[in-house]
Amino acid sequence: MTYEPKIIAFLCTWCSYTGADTAGIARLKSPANIRAVRVPCSGRVAPEWIMRAFDQGADGVLVLGCHIGECHYDSGNHRAAKRIPVLQELMSYAGLEPERLRLDWVSASEGERFSRITTEFTETLRTLGSLHWRLDDDRRVIQRGLIGNPTAVHKPFTPSQSYPAERYQDFTHQIQQVARSLLQSGEVEFVIGYEVGSRGRTRPAFIHKADDAERLVWNQDCTHNLSTYLTQKWGRPVPNERKAQIEQPHIAVVVKACDSRSVNIMLAESRFTRDKVHLIGVVCDGIRKGASFDTQPEGPLQTRCQVCENRLPVLYDTLIGEAPIEVPVFSPVKSSYGIDQLEAMSSAERMDFWLAQFDRCIRCYACRQTCPVCACPTCLYERDDSLWVGMGMGVNEKRTFHLGRAYHLAGRCIGCDECTRVCPMEIPVGLLSHKMSEEIFERFNYRAGLEATSPPFLTMLDQQEKAP
Amino acid sequence: MKVITQEEIKAWLNQMASVQTVVAPCDMSGTLLFRPVKDCSEIVCGTGRTVMSAKEYLFPHTERLLHIERIGQDVRLVEMQPEEDILMFGLHPCDARGMLILDALFLEKPPQDAYYARRRKHMTLVGMACEEMGESCFCTTMGGGLDDPTGMDVMLTKTPGGFYAQAVTPKGRRLLETAGFPYTQAEKSAKVVHKADIPPIEAWPEHFMDAYWRQISERCISCRICAYVCPTCRCFDIRDEAIPTEGDGEFERIRCWDSCNSVNYRRTAGGHNSRLAKTQRLRNRFYCKFYYFPHQYGPVTCTGCGRCVDACPVNVDITEVIQQVYQHSR
Repeated sequence: MTYEPKIIAFLCTWCSYTGADTAGIARLKSPANIRAVRVPCSGRVAPEWIMRAFDQGADGVLVLGCHIGECHYDSGNHRAAKRIPVLQELMSYAGLEPERLRLDWVSASEGERFSRITTEFTETLRTLGSLHWRLDDDRRVIQRGLIGNPTAVHKPFTPSQSYPAERYQDFTHQIQQVARSLLQSGEVEFVIGYEVGSRGRTRPAFIHKADDAERLVWNQDCTHNLSTYLTQKWGRPVPNERKAQIEQPHIAVVVKACDSRSVNIMLAESRFTRDKVHLIGVVCDGIRKGASFDTQPEGPLQTRCQVCENRLPVLYDTLIGEAPIEVPVFSPVKSSYGIDQLEAMSSAERMDFWLAQFDRCIRCYACRQTCPVCACPTCLYERDDSLWVGMGMGVNEKRTFHLGRAYHLAGRCIGCDECTRVCPMEIPVGLLSHKMSEEIFERFNYRAGLEATSPPFLTMLDQQEKAP
Repeated sequence: MKVITQEEIKAWLNQMASVQTVVAPCDMSGTLLFRPVKDCSEIVCGTGRTVMSAKEYLFPHTERLLHIERIGQDVRLVEMQPEEDILMFGLHPCDARGMLILDALFLEKPPQDAYYARRRKHMTLVGMACEEMGESCFCTTMGGGLDDPTGMDVMLTKTPGGFYAQAVTPKGRRLLETAGFPYTQAEKSAKVVHKADIPPIEAWPEHFMDAYWRQISERCISCRICAYVCPTCRCFDIRDEAIPTEGDGEFERIRCWDSCNSVNYRRTAGGHNSRLAKTQRLRNRFYCKFYYFPHQYGPVTCTGCGRCVDACPVNVDITEVIQQVYQHSR
């Protein structure tokens, strides 16, 4: 039996669906591989549907809408035109041939065009063959040595001049002072900062009493993005304290430059109001690599700090410190993380790489839980509830979760790379989001979190994009 | 004492791998994990512990229990029975002790878990004594030891010329005899077992309402790392799921790991959730380990492997918790 690709086509009811009818009336041939799904508008086609179609065995997905300027809802197809190429980029980065997803425009009268596009698309897929997401046993081990050590390509920045210990002692002292006065005046209910925990590891600290403020520290191991604690994805507080929590408490948080950008995202998405948080911004010299620091850490800066161009928080109420002594030469994002190495691979190699990575995933959801912009009270891909993803630990479920999450973070991820840090299986989760951030910067010249006014980037259109 | 050379072990492992599944620590992109090996050159042994414990192969993260198929008007149910013989190589004492704790739940008290029992029966454990304690290890505190052979079938200890083997169980002795390796009978661990600072079971109830639980759980991010890397955490969830097929419909009943740290863990029908606050959830983790389980089944469910200590992204440290309860219960 010859191979026949399975194609899901999302057709806008106002144009392409009617276009398909026109083709039928004119007795034009369209391939029988197309399974049409009628939608009110191409803007209604959620990227999750497309990913779902690929998950469930589609070999290709076709999205057809009205020509730009002819949308029944003015700008519905503009949304499709903004989102679907970004999704295509993500799927292609994950190892899917980009030709498997196609967005095009067909009006109600263009029966001939409908027939031509569907025929062309089917032919393309015939040559590509069936989509094979499975990870064979042999491919499980391909991962070794597939992607080189990115730091070997780019020499990590190690500050030649180490900062005097007094610098951080001074920062520590100032943070303690600010925290103390905020708590004493009753301006905030508690302060979230850093303390040195067991085995010399710096960890998040919640300070409720002014006397405890002396636990707070600042050093180059303050890696956590504390703004994540401002979200409500942990379930509700203890029942008898619920009342107090419903009226959102005033909280002070210590933020680095990257963390302040995630606060901007949360503000833009109305997770809380600006008056509820007091941001203690710290001038960041970069966080160093390493697990445990009893003394001054000496390792190179973390990759995210080598590509970070903000040393000053973009948003703060109190600023600790002044400009750093030595500003590193910023490394380009793609080569620092090794994204360019992945891009240079063939689709099949990329799929091997990612499936082998996802294969290690244990679905602990640490990447999601620690992510400051993964703020949904219930995740779409939460295994206990989801209709989108199964409960088992097959590579399919894990792929669906990681790619779905990467898409949801596109245009919202601020690059703190916490997801990669927390992963117990050392999956470079962040590589997906960093790639998407770069893609969005290249296409739209947009960086997430620099201003509080920016809405969820991919779901909104600005005036320019709305104009036909 | 007769020594088995490294070459002999390698040759034996390669021969074993050709006839059955051999699972051993492998370096998977920088992560040390137990994985099936075809050739023993893939094995990484003696450089610390794996990120995931050996529990993965006894109580897998997804156990397929039942295959359900619709044929016309009928439904056919096929029970899935794990039959594969597995030789686990390079386990550390904490892994084997973790299995004994799982045994207490799944095997020793009725009803026995059929799937677990089958896997256990088909599994042979060849352990490797640790040379030194890792930075976060505290097995000696929990009653274990670096060369503690408890729970193994065969225990290997590294010596200058190679390894010497102890036969711990009759199964292990048969294995060594078949391979033609010299062995000694298992002895009690020679090294001093340091027992200290574990609060007694009776000490726990009075601390249930302590403010401490709230303090440590504030920074918890409610992920599931600690439960999943733990060699003794054994909570699971069962669900029937559809398998995408062309036919009438195929389904399977799967059993997956669960974690008491996830928000939905304690949600009941109707939506009530009795552990909605993460304070309650994290407290449950420690009470389960040191109070509930010992109360019902006997052993304390911590082997001191230190995996959760290393893997926790926000430094929730189980040793700190034990210390806290211990100090306040004197």
